[in-house]
Amino acid sequence: MPNQGRVLAFPARHIAKPLSRAEALARAEAYLAIPAEKRTTLSESTHLEDAEMLSSIFAVLRDRLNVVPAEVFAEAKSLYDWLSVPRRAVGFFDESDYFRGESALLAGGAARLLGSREETERWLDRADACFRHTINPAPMLARVAYTRLALKFDMRRYEEVAELVPSLHLTFGKLAMAEDYWKCRFLEAMTLKDMGNLDGAVGAFEEIACGAQLPVDDALKGLALINLGNVRSGQGNHELALMAYSEALPFLKSANRPLSLADLKAMVAETLALLGKVDQAIQAYREAVADYVLLGSTTRVAYLRLVLAEVLVGAGRHREAEWEVAAALPTIDAEKMVPEGFAAVALLRESVRQRKANPQALSELRQYLQTTN
Amino acid sequence: MEISDDLGVSLSHEDDFEREIEIVFRETLGLIHIALVSHYQLKEQEATELEKDLFVWFRRFCYRPGASIRENRPFLLVACCQFAREYQKYLVGTGVLSSDEKLKLILDREPVDVAHDFSRSLQLFDFRRSDA
Repeated sequence: MPNQGRVLAFPARHIAKPLSRAEALARAEAYLAIPAEKRTTLSESTHLEDAEMLSSIFAVLRDRLNVVPAEVFAEAKSLYDWLSVPRRAVGFFDESDYFRGESALLAGGAARLLGSREETERWLDRADACFRHTINPAPMLARVAYTRLALKFDMRRYEEVAELVPSLHLTFGKLAMAEDYWKCRFLEAMTLKDMGNLDGAVGAFEEIACGAQLPVDDALKGLALINLGNVRSGQGNHELALMAYSEALPFLKSANRPLSLADLKAMVAETLALLGKVDQAIQAYREAVADYVLLGSTTRVAYLRLVLAEVLVGAGRHREAEWEVAAALPTIDAEKMVPEGFAAVALLRESVRQRKANPQALSELRQYLQTTN
Repeated sequence: MEISDDLGVSLSHEDDFEREIEIVFRETLGLIHIALVSHYQLKEQEATELEKDLFVWFRRFCYRPGASIRENRPFLLVACCQFAREYQKYLVGTGVLSSDEKLKLILDREPVDVAHDFSRSLQLFDFRRSDA
């Protein structure tokens, strides 16, 4: 092919033998291990101009999304910016659009996990715009649609999610995208649960835990079992709840989901408290708090300390309850978890100062946080 | 694309996957060559070069979600027609190539439509394969 044919739309052909997936993944991980400020223009172009490497970088980032969303957001944003430089083209045909779409979708997913809703929408719009130019856009547009629905769920717009989610899991089913299909079913189950349709939610969680027809990954199975236990506990079936929790544990461990493991400990603690096993419940709450502290989930730590304080007050261990409240209040203030002047917070602050527990204020604040955070 | 923790299983699965890509591409290559040379009027050497690029693209394309390797063949034809059209339009536009009526007709058509016609040939091919 004459050289002039390649000047505009035709990038140089990839002549080298493509790397195996394992080699490319190892090189992608090595690249991502270099701190962003130490990456040179040369190392960027060596890695990012190679479409094979870029694919592997996205595979690594997708894998890390639920574990370190802040890092994934920074990397995805920087990749999007790099790919968006005018006249820069990576790979062949539609690949530049595809890679830009991937980076925008990753940034959107990470922004959602970080709680930044407007930012999420902006990144999902970018992902949509890029994927529309690819040769087979339907699968990736469906993934964008999933993240949009998950965002609506976060915003408690359950009616909208309930209306749209069946069509989306039908799409994933038709496209044989098993992992996405089950994520979508899980979102549906969570929506049913939060809308109060507990029987529907139990059915959906059980279906995910069984994984009939299409394979389900361990992390999702674990999460479904946690929520199944939570619903059963709410229905008063505490023993069944504990069974579901114990089934969830190995799945979450094998999937390396520390945040979900901490959630599991908190739910086990709640069920133990409902069963009247107060000492075991307190122990489980403390373990969950310690896990959240390690994960840096400050708002969850604060909320759970208040739950623990309520249990401690119920057990007559007022002094320990005051410590938990005293430890939670600075985060509640710093993270603005309640509106300014929220009466229960002022009352609790006073109760800590006077070393005298205030169960009513504690209960009010805990209930408020339960419904808003 | 999901990478299994079990490298042994993953590599063997990857080998099978890569082999399947090569088989499907080779099966479609005859049709691609006809499209490039007979319809889009690329020279033999140009067509051969473009086919190499198409294989590199198709290999990566098959790792995208939402379709099996075999289901991706129509998309391979779309990419083939799109690339051939852009290439010939570029050469015609810069005066390197003069366009006859037949070439003009095909360059005026949307690559997706041209590829759709070729996909019918693929369906016929599949029918013959299953009949054999």
